[in-house]
Amino acid sequence: MRTLRILARNPLSVVGLVLVLLIIFAAVFAQYIVPYPTHNGSVIDFAFANKPPSARNWFGTDLVGRDIFSRIIYAYQISLTLGVVVLAVATPIGTIIGLLAGYVGGWVENVLMRLVDIFLSIPPLVLAIAMMGVLEPTLTNAMLAVTVVWWPWYARLVYSIARAEREEGYVLAAEVIGASAVHISFREILPNCLPAIITKMTLDMGFVIIIASSLSFLGLGVQPPTPDLGSMVAEGARYLPDSWWLSVFPGLAILVAVFGFNLLGDGLREILSVDK
Amino acid sequence: MMNKYSLLTSALLAAMTVAAPAMAESVLRLDEVAVGELDPAKASDYADSILMFNVYDTLVLPQQGGPGHTPHLAASWENDGATYTFTLRDDVKFQSGNPLRAEDVVYSIERMQALGAGLSYLFAGVTTAAVDENTVTFTLEAPYAPFVASLVRLPIVDKALIEANSDEEWGGDFLSANAAGTGAYGVRSHNPQEETVMTKSDSYFLGVPDVAPDTVRLRYGLEPATVRTLIAQGEHDIASQWLPPEVISALAKDGAQLLTEAGTGGFYFKMNTTKAPLDDVNCRLALSHAFDYSTAIQMIAINDEVSAGSPSTGAIPVGMFGANSANMQMSQDLDKAKEYLAACKYDAADMNIEVSWIAEVPLEERFALLMQSNFSQLGIKSEIQKMPWALFAEQVSKPENTPHISQLFVNAVTGDPDTLLYGMYHSSTPGTWQSPEHLNDAEVDQHLVAGRSASSDAERTEAYSALNARLLAIAPTIYGFDRQSVFAASNRVKVPAMSDASQAFGLDGMGFSFRLMEMVE
Repeated sequence: MRTLRILARNPLSVVGLVLVLLIIFAAVFAQYIVPYPTHNGSVIDFAFANKPPSARNWFGTDLVGRDIFSRIIYAYQISLTLGVVVLAVATPIGTIIGLLAGYVGGWVENVLMRLVDIFLSIPPLVLAIAMMGVLEPTLTNAMLAVTVVWWPWYARLVYSIARAEREEGYVLAAEVIGASAVHISFREILPNCLPAIITKMTLDMGFVIIIASSLSFLGLGVQPPTPDLGSMVAEGARYLPDSWWLSVFPGLAILVAVFGFNLLGDGLREILSVDK
Repeated sequence: MMNKYSLLTSALLAAMTVAAPAMAESVLRLDEVAVGELDPAKASDYADSILMFNVYDTLVLPQQGGPGHTPHLAASWENDGATYTFTLRDDVKFQSGNPLRAEDVVYSIERMQALGAGLSYLFAGVTTAAVDENTVTFTLEAPYAPFVASLVRLPIVDKALIEANSDEEWGGDFLSANAAGTGAYGVRSHNPQEETVMTKSDSYFLGVPDVAPDTVRLRYGLEPATVRTLIAQGEHDIASQWLPPEVISALAKDGAQLLTEAGTGGFYFKMNTTKAPLDDVNCRLALSHAFDYSTAIQMIAINDEVSAGSPSTGAIPVGMFGANSANMQMSQDLDKAKEYLAACKYDAADMNIEVSWIAEVPLEERFALLMQSNFSQLGIKSEIQKMPWALFAEQVSKPENTPHISQLFVNAVTGDPDTLLYGMYHSSTPGTWQSPEHLNDAEVDQHLVAGRSASSDAERTEAYSALNARLLAIAPTIYGFDRQSVFAASNRVKVPAMSDASQAFGLDGMGFSFRLMEMVE
């Protein structure tokens, strides 16, 4: 209840929450809510190809006559799946490495954090593009590439918190009574990192969606006919300015998703820091 | 280094300012897909042909507005069985100032034969000799009916200039960056990935009319949206034919003119006959019967009058030797497709057909989707692969790297069916972008040889009809449609060779002879 009250005090984060919930709902129940449920596959309907927005097709149709609104909802499925999987894999990896480096210290810290530095020194999009250049362009590989880019940020975050907490009284107390390093890392220090991790994950959802869209914009992500926001923008861009609906609506869809997750992330940060 | 560079630039700028004529220079701007190959012996695709036809000349030219050939660098020729004797004009000079001699012709053809690239296969088995300074003889190993036609692909290079400027045996390093021709246009700068700038040659033996563009900028790899905007702003003149129909039609609505180059070729969906499951003829027949030909025709209409093609009737475009009549249109037949699929030794459930499309030709993505949808009606899965042209052209040289289905526009490079079909289907031709079928069929080979060696038109028609029937029976290719190139162009330029049927060359790329264009303004 208290959480909701704090959230309500910040109307923008309520907007974020609503947007995120709407997007998740639409993605999960896409099959039942889109007007043209078959348009995520290799359907073609040239009689209705390249039509501007109308009552029949709210966001218009693409060049082979598929409903863009339906495809955007399906594309959210892909984007959200990708975001969730990437964060679900990258966060634990980054957290464990960060905890180890931060608590154990010494040469472990040096080796792990220099490794993290190496990853962070390469711009994330460049690293992901390089990886996708070698791998086959599939959804799984896109997830893999983004995960490899993503975990170092969590390692860095958790490491900085763990290092500070290492000197705190409660950690020293645990050490004095002979608690194991694993116990101290995961039971004592980790709970103190969680608020920061959760906030970062929410904010990152948006950024992961952007990176994944950038990859597919460049033709390195999900392959047709599976709908994907990035590749829809890329394909549509060739037909600007005449057939603007081909790229503008998928572009707005990316904007809305990223905006929603960012607002929600900001709200969460406030709540969690108040809690602390 | 920087200093030197900027000094050089300012020196050049100063020189240009001094040299600038009083009258405004007319500039023609157009675009094509990268890479622009300047070495004429390696020229094979459309961009290369545009460069070749302007920088270099050939012994003969196609007759404008009709069949046959007219002398060009040649003054006349005679044919005595397997020997052709050409007398050269004596007033032709290369851009370097060197006079054109018979030894240049001998060097040009021997260079093509030695390099073995581009369209050199046209001249396999031809022995050439310079009889005197202005006479050259070609002796053919085997009778080749369209030999004179094939000379439109023999650009004559400046032997003395090449030998003075290159240590390599055939001067490949020099010719890939410099012009060494007699052509109406010289090369001012050339970057095969970006732009070739050409300027009018003062010494052209036929003279270049004043109305022809002074400078031509041929840019490579522009995005359709960029071309669309540039033309609307009056900063581009002729768009490449690879624009999607929607963009061409939008440009036409805004007042752009539509130029056309009539079909001597087709749009083909080529199946790799060496790769399972397409090594089984029944599988290929199943796919070719599943393809929705009539939707393909709808997809290429630009507006009510102009379309980028007409229905296909088989392997040979309507109008050529051996073509089926225009009413025998190919059509989708799913029942037959299913019968063929049942006869195929592979199980449809295990298939995953790679359908590639050339990244520079967005329309092909839609054909890929069309095929994917058609094939799924047979229960066959397929996977769409986007490939940049340069990568594709390299991959298809090996059968194992060639995708199951490649989409290509191929045209008769000399206007004769031999040059459309021999390079595609004869088992002796190496893997090029024209032959991703990698076909090896003795009967096809036999008809192809009969078609090129027969002496009368009736015999040639008979050979090509038999070839057409055989190709339809073994279906190495899905014959999409007979193609016509459509170009959106600004109204700053008039191109009679592509807007007036009586001036048309009937040879792809030759419409882009800049000397025959007229700049308005």
